[in-house]
Amino acid sequence: MALYDLNIAWPPATPTDRLLQTLTTAHSLGYTTVALNHTLELPFPANPTAPFPSLPSSSSTSTSTSSSSSASPKALPHILHRATLPLADPSASNYRLPSLTSVYDILAIRPLTEKAFQNACLTLDIPLISLDMAQHFPFYFRPKPCMAAVARGVRFELCYAQALSPNDARARAHFISNATSLIRATRGRGIIISSEAKSAFGLRAPVDVVNLFNVWGLQSEKAMEGLRTIPRSVVVNEGLKRDGFRGVINIVQVAKKPAAAEGEQTDDQSSAAEQGGKRKNQKRKNGAEDAQPVSKRGAKKMKLAARAAASEKKAS
Amino acid sequence: MVRIKERYLLVNIIYPPDAATSKARVPGLVAQHQPTVAKLTPQALVRAIKAEVAELYGDFGAGALEGNLSVKYLSLATSTFILRCNRAHYQLLWSALTFMDRVPVKDGRPCIFRVVRVSGTIRKIEEVAVERARKLILAAKAEASSHPQSLLSVDILGKDDAMLDVVDSAMGDEDMEDGR
Repeated sequence: MALYDLNIAWPPATPTDRLLQTLTTAHSLGYTTVALNHTLELPFPANPTAPFPSLPSSSSTSTSTSSSSSASPKALPHILHRATLPLADPSASNYRLPSLTSVYDILAIRPLTEKAFQNACLTLDIPLISLDMAQHFPFYFRPKPCMAAVARGVRFELCYAQALSPNDARARAHFISNATSLIRATRGRGIIISSEAKSAFGLRAPVDVVNLFNVWGLQSEKAMEGLRTIPRSVVVNEGLKRDGFRGVINIVQVAKKPAAAEGEQTDDQSSAAEQGGKRKNQKRKNGAEDAQPVSKRGAKKMKLAARAAASEKKAS
Repeated sequence: MVRIKERYLLVNIIYPPDAATSKARVPGLVAQHQPTVAKLTPQALVRAIKAEVAELYGDFGAGALEGNLSVKYLSLATSTFILRCNRAHYQLLWSALTFMDRVPVKDGRPCIFRVVRVSGTIRKIEEVAVERARKLILAAKAEASSHPQSLLSVDILGKDDAMLDVVDSAMGDEDMEDGR
């Protein structure tokens, strides 16, 4: 299953080849989708534009545009764009979130004060709360707002690179204390694990990260979820919010108008199947010597398998 | 008397490709799994890991791994090593490896220590190591052949084959056998 890293730090000054280095490393460690994180500064621009460089997309097989990259373009993960807004004052409620929504794939909030944290947990319409865990917070993470946020669909993000390369001596201790208390407050639910790696050396393999968080008190299944299913749900939900009609309905695929010939063919097939079924029935009626009588359980199994195959076809 | 339970960790050293190697047009996979050129010895490795554990976990960690941490196998050609430790404390050792960020020699290169497999027996670990080395070489060959603009690919593949021999002979060596 796909692995996600929804936070790769991207200050606008990052040179492209260093970014490519980080991305190829992320891909080789097993991450299939990453998000480049642009941390916005206050005050937010009036009409924001995403300043991300155009990278060779993961699907294109044409030769890489940047000659400096050694890796072939298919060695890149799928790339999303994300913005993180630092918030200190909850009273100024107009953050121009809708205008940002159209530009970035994912939005996240980085609350700096307790009020902003509460506000982000309880009211703001954003999918992610990303805290700077390497600093000391003058407040607890209380279970009530945290669980309310999780129930509302807001996810908390833990960025392990903050602990790997600490800025000052106490940063790692602060990170561990904050992470354990947040895990305790949410009981490990609704936690996304991402890197916030500033270079390729800030990345770690998924299982290493899971073990690390297991040492800090997050069960390993939940940590794995935080790398797989939960970020996926965030990405899909956000995508749906942007493409779909009012975030509810989306056109996945338009059915083809069946041509006349095709219709006949399918008719033939179905009639053949019917005949086959008849034959089987006859056999069953006739024969006690039938080699493999289909038991009820067997028939049920076959039916289930057929249904699963049909649904898979539909999905693909 | 009950046997002492152990865990074996298979660890890969990964070098994210930097600007110099990408200019030389080495395929990314080969660059990441390049051999360790520094003169890394098992003793230096154990010392560095113990220092990291002591930094993270203090005297408790240092004591927990004191008598039972050892390097069972170290291959600089494939940047792979196998560690053995007590089963009760393997997570502690693993997290310390996660926090290490450079080759533990003087002026070591920055790198990532990636734990590939954890197992209770050294035999499984050995099988996985051989299998991974083989797959890596096949993948690198495939990447090089699908990437015709790298002129050096032939040379690199030649080196790669040599490396495969090194791997095989090293894996067949006696030091891979279960230490009794």
